[in-house]
Amino acid sequence: MPIEVKNLCYSYKKGTPFEKKVLHDISLTVNDGEFLGLIGPTQAGKTTLAQHFNALLLPQSGKVLIGNCDTCLKDANLIALRQKVGYIFQNPDYQLFAPTVGEDVAFGPKNQGLSGNEVEERVIEAMTQVGLDFDTFKNRDIFALSGGQKRRAAVAGVLACRPQILILDDITAGLDPRGRDEILEVVKGLHQQSMITIIFISNSMETVARLADRLVVMDQGRIVMDGSTRDIFTRSDHLQEIGLEIPDIMHIAKQLREKGFNLPPALLNIEEAAESITECLANRQVSD
Amino acid sequence: MSGEQAGERLMELTKNITLGVYMPGETAIHRLDPRTKLISACLLIVLLLIIKSYQAYALFFIFIAAIILVSQIPIGYALRGLKPMLPVLVLMWFFQLFLYSSPDANILFSWWIFTATDAGAHMGNLISMRVLLLFVVTTTLTLTTTMVDLTDGMDSLLKPLGRIGLPSHELVMTMIIALRFVLILAEELDKIVKAQMARGVAFDQGNFIQKTKKLFPVFLPLFINAFKRAEELIVAMEARSYAGSRGRTKMKTLHMGRVDFYAACVILFFTAMTILFILQFPPMIR
Repeated sequence: MPIEVKNLCYSYKKGTPFEKKVLHDISLTVNDGEFLGLIGPTQAGKTTLAQHFNALLLPQSGKVLIGNCDTCLKDANLIALRQKVGYIFQNPDYQLFAPTVGEDVAFGPKNQGLSGNEVEERVIEAMTQVGLDFDTFKNRDIFALSGGQKRRAAVAGVLACRPQILILDDITAGLDPRGRDEILEVVKGLHQQSMITIIFISNSMETVARLADRLVVMDQGRIVMDGSTRDIFTRSDHLQEIGLEIPDIMHIAKQLREKGFNLPPALLNIEEAAESITECLANRQVSD
Repeated sequence: MSGEQAGERLMELTKNITLGVYMPGETAIHRLDPRTKLISACLLIVLLLIIKSYQAYALFFIFIAAIILVSQIPIGYALRGLKPMLPVLVLMWFFQLFLYSSPDANILFSWWIFTATDAGAHMGNLISMRVLLLFVVTTTLTLTTTMVDLTDGMDSLLKPLGRIGLPSHELVMTMIIALRFVLILAEELDKIVKAQMARGVAFDQGNFIQKTKKLFPVFLPLFINAFKRAEELIVAMEARSYAGSRGRTKMKTLHMGRVDFYAACVILFFTAMTILFILQFPPMIR
């Protein structure tokens, strides 16, 4: 189920003296099954754009087509759309409210009108997908969860609706490295096993470098770059101009290149870098 | 309300909150000492509660409109905050129409067990105008005065009470934080509503009871987050050595200027005119 955005514009507080235009003429297509990284400096418009993908916001001009459904149409079934496109917020506290984890995860499927058995099935499935053992956590108080566990519970709550597309809005912010790795493992697993389309909003270049196939870079309400992860990272100067940092490993690779090492233009992670450097050194020894 | 309008209303809850918002400007009103503005606002509110004739209310309307014009706040924006109140006001008006009566009232019409009187209509008008103008006066105050100035102004005015043992500073601080939190909690509410909408809750559908039930997944996170924020605020204030009013001094002290003198004259003139109107014109209700 692809998402098409055509000439989308959006302003906050429209009609008041505090009106601020946040999206300027955005056009974009999200393809089925891809892992899309939506990156950009703060206030670039990433969240605003992403909230159009599940009709939490409606375009003020332009069009957003989810599947083939135009969100602006009067009879568009927005509730059905929101079941197909899941949105996970940065702060799980905005979402968790039920007394126990099990009940909270069941909230989504219940809203979909499913029978008791189906709801339980979905809850077990979702909690397993995020790594929260059903029997252990089913009756646990949501206030007794750690930060990382809360986040996983929130993800489970959305997964229980079985969405075809999943939007993750900066979900690693504020997590310690272990919590971050845990949640990213879940996300990676989801993409590989269930082939869900994933739209990943983040400021962390390391993370998107590792996981995303395609990157869309936004700055001040416009899309400035759109391409495969590798292509985007070769343009590190442009990224830095916008105010984005490239992963540390790329800094090192850049310096090595300046010193004469013939490394490929975009190395996305430490493993690739290690391989390339080893190869380079081997070649040097050979030529010497 | 169509589904689309309801959706739009849900999408930006904070758009219509005007109480506690500051609109920067360099107008005479903005430059007034906050104490002048506070005392004037109190005076206006007292006047509002004692005038009872349509003519006096017309005078009041003109005066407050003039103030808003001078402050260069778009009138549309100043009135925006009233939107959520409108249904309640209309309901109140009808209540008065049917339920209020006085000995010399004339009956306008009867319907079932309800009798509408002209005295009821007048009372409805009176109450509505009072509420509306009360809101407009307060909003104009907060739109033209920063939070810091409001705090300093109130602090200064209530200091004499502090000397007789009333915790004036703490009261002021409580009021100001509450005012600030109106906007903060509205923003939180916005995010929570969206989070639950994303899980399939349709806030705009269903009858009254169903809609009320749907508010639970919204209000629980809201209250919890409000308490969390309160705790964080306490720690932040203590970390900056806040200890109430003990030994507290200010970097920027307030002083009255020429603008304040003119403003005082204008307000006194208006008060005099109002008293004249009160004496000259009969009240709409006895």
